[in-house]
Amino acid sequence: MKKFLFPISLKIIILGILNALAIWSVIILIFDSHYWMGGILILGVVFINYIFLSEKAYPFRYMVPGLIFLVIMVIYPIFYTIYVSFTNYGTGHILNKEQAIEQFENQVYFPKDSVSYTFQAFKNDSGEIKIILFSPEEEAYLCENKKIIVKVDLSDPRFIDQDKDGIIDQFDNYKKLDKIQTIQRLNELQNLRFKKDEYIIKLTNLTEFKVCNKKYQFDSSLDRLLDLENGKVYHNIEGYFVSEDGERLTPGFRVKIGFQNFTKLIRSQQISGPFLRVFGWTFLWAFLSVITTFALGLTLAIILNDPYLRLRKIYRTLLIVPYSIPFFISCLIWRGFFNTEVGIVNRILNNFFQVIIPWLQDPIWAKVALVVVNLWLGFPYMMIITLGALQSIPSELGEAASIDGASRWQQFKNITFPLLLVSLAPLLIGSFAFNFNNFNVIYLVTQGRPAIPGAGTPAGATDILISYTYRLAFEGVRGNQWGLASAVSLIIFIIVAVISAIGFRYTRSLEEVSKNV
Amino acid sequence: MKKFLTVLLVLVMLLGLVSMVSASEAGKLLIWCDETRTPVLAEAGKDFTALYGVPVEVQEVGFADIRSKLTTTAPVGEGADLIIGPHDWIGELIENGLLEPISLFTELRSKFVPVSLEAFTYGGKLYGLPYATEAVALFYNKDLVPEPPATFEELITIAKGLTNREKGEYGFLIQMPDPYHSFPLLSATGGYIFGENPDGTTNPLDVGLANEGAIRGANLLLRLVQEGIEVPGADYQTVTGLFNEGKLAMMIAGPWTLGGIKEAGINYGITKIPTIDGQVAKPFVGVNGFMISTFSENKLLARTFLTEFIATKDIMLKLYEKATRPPAFLPALDEVSANPDIKGIAISAADGIPMPKIPEMASVWGAWSDALELIVNEKLEPDQAMKNAAEQIKKTIMGE
Amino acid sequence: MYRKHSFAGAFIRNLFVWIFIAFAIFPFIWIFSASINSSNTLLGQTIIPKNFTWSHYIEFFTNKQHPFGLWILNSIKVSGITAIFTVILAALGAYAFSRFRFKGRRTGLLSLLLVQMFPQMLAMVAIYLLLLNIGKYISWLGLNHHISLIMVYLGGAMGFNVWLMKGYFDTISYSLEESAMIDGATHFQSFIRIILPLARPILAVIFILQFIGTYSDFILASILLSSKENYTLAVGLRLFITGQYSTRWGAFAAASIIGAFPIMVIFLLLQNQLVSGLTRGGVKE
Repeated sequence: MKKFLFPISLKIIILGILNALAIWSVIILIFDSHYWMGGILILGVVFINYIFLSEKAYPFRYMVPGLIFLVIMVIYPIFYTIYVSFTNYGTGHILNKEQAIEQFENQVYFPKDSVSYTFQAFKNDSGEIKIILFSPEEEAYLCENKKIIVKVDLSDPRFIDQDKDGIIDQFDNYKKLDKIQTIQRLNELQNLRFKKDEYIIKLTNLTEFKVCNKKYQFDSSLDRLLDLENGKVYHNIEGYFVSEDGERLTPGFRVKIGFQNFTKLIRSQQISGPFLRVFGWTFLWAFLSVITTFALGLTLAIILNDPYLRLRKIYRTLLIVPYSIPFFISCLIWRGFFNTEVGIVNRILNNFFQVIIPWLQDPIWAKVALVVVNLWLGFPYMMIITLGALQSIPSELGEAASIDGASRWQQFKNITFPLLLVSLAPLLIGSFAFNFNNFNVIYLVTQGRPAIPGAGTPAGATDILISYTYRLAFEGVRGNQWGLASAVSLIIFIIVAVISAIGFRYTRSLEEVSKNV
Repeated sequence: MKKFLTVLLVLVMLLGLVSMVSASEAGKLLIWCDETRTPVLAEAGKDFTALYGVPVEVQEVGFADIRSKLTTTAPVGEGADLIIGPHDWIGELIENGLLEPISLFTELRSKFVPVSLEAFTYGGKLYGLPYATEAVALFYNKDLVPEPPATFEELITIAKGLTNREKGEYGFLIQMPDPYHSFPLLSATGGYIFGENPDGTTNPLDVGLANEGAIRGANLLLRLVQEGIEVPGADYQTVTGLFNEGKLAMMIAGPWTLGGIKEAGINYGITKIPTIDGQVAKPFVGVNGFMISTFSENKLLARTFLTEFIATKDIMLKLYEKATRPPAFLPALDEVSANPDIKGIAISAADGIPMPKIPEMASVWGAWSDALELIVNEKLEPDQAMKNAAEQIKKTIMGE
Repeated sequence: MYRKHSFAGAFIRNLFVWIFIAFAIFPFIWIFSASINSSNTLLGQTIIPKNFTWSHYIEFFTNKQHPFGLWILNSIKVSGITAIFTVILAALGAYAFSRFRFKGRRTGLLSLLLVQMFPQMLAMVAIYLLLLNIGKYISWLGLNHHISLIMVYLGGAMGFNVWLMKGYFDTISYSLEESAMIDGATHFQSFIRIILPLARPILAVIFILQFIGTYSDFILASILLSSKENYTLAVGLRLFITGQYSTRWGAFAAASIIGAFPIMVIFLLLQNQLVSGLTRGGVKE
């Protein structure tokens, strides 16, 4: 009985602390107007409490830690991506509206009769600063914290020339700042604004203050920007301020644009034209990658699982070398190997078979090269997971079968392989999904090339769906279109998920078969 | 006991996880640059701090990451105050509202090579302080080619004599498919990317990649392939690799290859690109410079850093030492113009055109690359390939 | 399942393995060649470079601007901790899916897998913003800290790992736990005392997979880490290869070679766990 009481009270204490922390955090979050984060935190904590207090939810307690991380680091970005796909976030629309307006309202113009003042800064012992402005007509103005400038006579007794060299080095009890000290306080100085009549005076560079005016004023009720210098009016049109005569101000800002990204994708000639061809290759590519890596990985795992094979630990370690080198450099090395003119593959082929293959220039051979590279990159992973799964297959089964006269191959076909497939099938499907979206390898080895002759589509012969569409989103006219790329991600995810779900349905039947083991 | 030790080990590892952080703050300058420029900037930064007492921190960021990092982090206040990069970045950065205009006094302006200031000017305002210019030029192996060719015809003759593919020796290569490196071939005879409006601004609807001059250039490229000079699969790695091993006599390359060439001990020379049909082959000129972020809290400080400190002969010379590119600052350029490397690049650059920096450029490179690839692999006739590319670019630009 | 082979059989097997070892190692040899080549090319014309030098390796240990040694230690630290906790989280989840029958079990399993298939492109920005905001309140959970980086990696702990482990757990006969629980053990105790020891092989596999996966990641790490002392090896190497026409292949190759050793060592050590027959329970059927 003791065993049960102790954990229960510990559990309640921990839950209590967690709840207290959560309430404290939520208060802070709501105070700072992070309503979404606060709400989600509340939901999450309520959920956790339920799981740990209710008997029915016992299984979920094991998943809580993992789920927390999953939700925050994987699920939330998915929702974020979906959110972005409904906006025009991208080059020209990086800032949000407030930031863009702030930038415009910080801009100034210099009126025609703008005056430049040289200045001298003075500082007293407690660090306060006074500025004396000198106009071109040699008049002096004192600027104080109140930001209103006051004319001072040059013969004012507060001007003190300590060393009688003709240069003023003190004003009242404020000592002059030399150039170096002025530079050190530039940040303070640049934020000073002085008013004279209806103009502002501010520091424009190291040596002068200038009269200027705010150039833009935002009118929130009418949602437009007014140019105070020339009276032009700019309306908010889809993330840009545009005037009636079509002048567009930079920068723009991000706005929600509904389904526009999606319709653009579906309607775009550039995308729908090559879609079937690219999709076909993408599917084939993922399929071949899985089949080849699994075949090789499986074979090697079986051979290297043999306790009678000497040195198998060393063999295994050598075989995971591809997995331990940064794939960036590996891809570039392979790209060099397949170089038509000087690559090692062709040199060997030429020496022994007198043949040279235009690897990366020919659509078919480029695909072959890619599959070979992916085989090299991926078989260690397959080997490792197969080795793991093999350990769980009871050897009694094999012994029983061989007593019954089954050959090694029959054992493998009827016992080992089906059992392996049960535990590994989901990972194979996962590998399929991974390679479906594996644009890193494509990009590094062939960049989607070779190009296809024929006007209109920038899709290369080895482009997969995701490499091609991302290229459109990032190398289009408008620079980087993150909103469009997010829409692409979502659509591709749907495609992959559907294919995978079908695959899982199929493997579910496998799961039932082995239940009797 | 073993269990206790394991737990202890895990705890120790966990404790070791807390570490320091740094980001942009007021009163301090944060600079981002790639790994080639970091040592020099770090030193310069220390000098600035010694002089003015303002701390300067230099963070090394991968060249290709600087723009995206600034785009993500600056609007949330985590970006740098200054970045260093080539001028063709400014179109995109300005569209994103990330760059602050820099105003220079006329006297200071006159100390810079004019094309370098032009490169960093957009919409009439200056957005960067240039410090180095670069362009591709003809690099040649003096042991194989004692006298560099002055015309392209000469180049072809020399190259043919030196090319022996069985032995793995090559006379001349341009890395492919590469619009940047092959632009001189097109520009010599009148090709261009975007035309100009009467008021001097770029007209993105006037695509000159398929005009007569460009097609002549494309045909020249095909000729190089047919004469056995240009080979398939000659990418950057291959071309520079062959040159560094002494197996390639001439190439069109930029000053970034000098490090490798010198380490390989090749007896090299640099000169301007040979004329084509008697006309000057104009390469793209890239200008590197400092840019200020609009989200910086220290804009004036950053600008002072540039105008008072960087734009001085000493610092510009320091930057030059590591960059091996012609300085854009005239007093520094005068001092080093005797250096043969610099002379070669500078001569080439003097004929050059600044790389266009409008955001529309992004759609150009892709289509143009594809056209070049099709030409070099003899899959499509040059004029057809270039016309297709121009069509596609126009469609993409207008389709938005 | 295995018998002692005939000489021919053993010979064929060994030959097969050696062919593919050659296939696996060949690029590695070239990378090694690049690392001792002074002219900084990635692919020389010959395997033994004309200009032979150890300078890249020396630079590896002495370069102040790029502290490779520190980076490798960071990588090992981050990958090791991530792998340990991944094993723990995945094992817990797999146990629940394997031993309990509850509503939503099938759907849960399926969703776990489907969720992993979403292209991670914009995840970077989302996570960056998330950590940025968290970091304002709790600094060591924010950007540029190893703890938060590890937490991001742990987001992927419950994915295919759970499936792999569940498959393995399924083959462990339930009778062992049954008898334990009759004796008064709770589910959790039988999980710790019975299941985990028997599942050593698959725990080792998950550990090595996660270790390698985390070790090689440079996308997430380079977004989230900003000061050089915190970089992992993968992030540090990225500085080299994203340079404008970077030519620092010698240093990059040397770092890759040295960086491969921790992985190989860990794999070698973990192989002792890849023992079969553990699930043959102590209960006669």
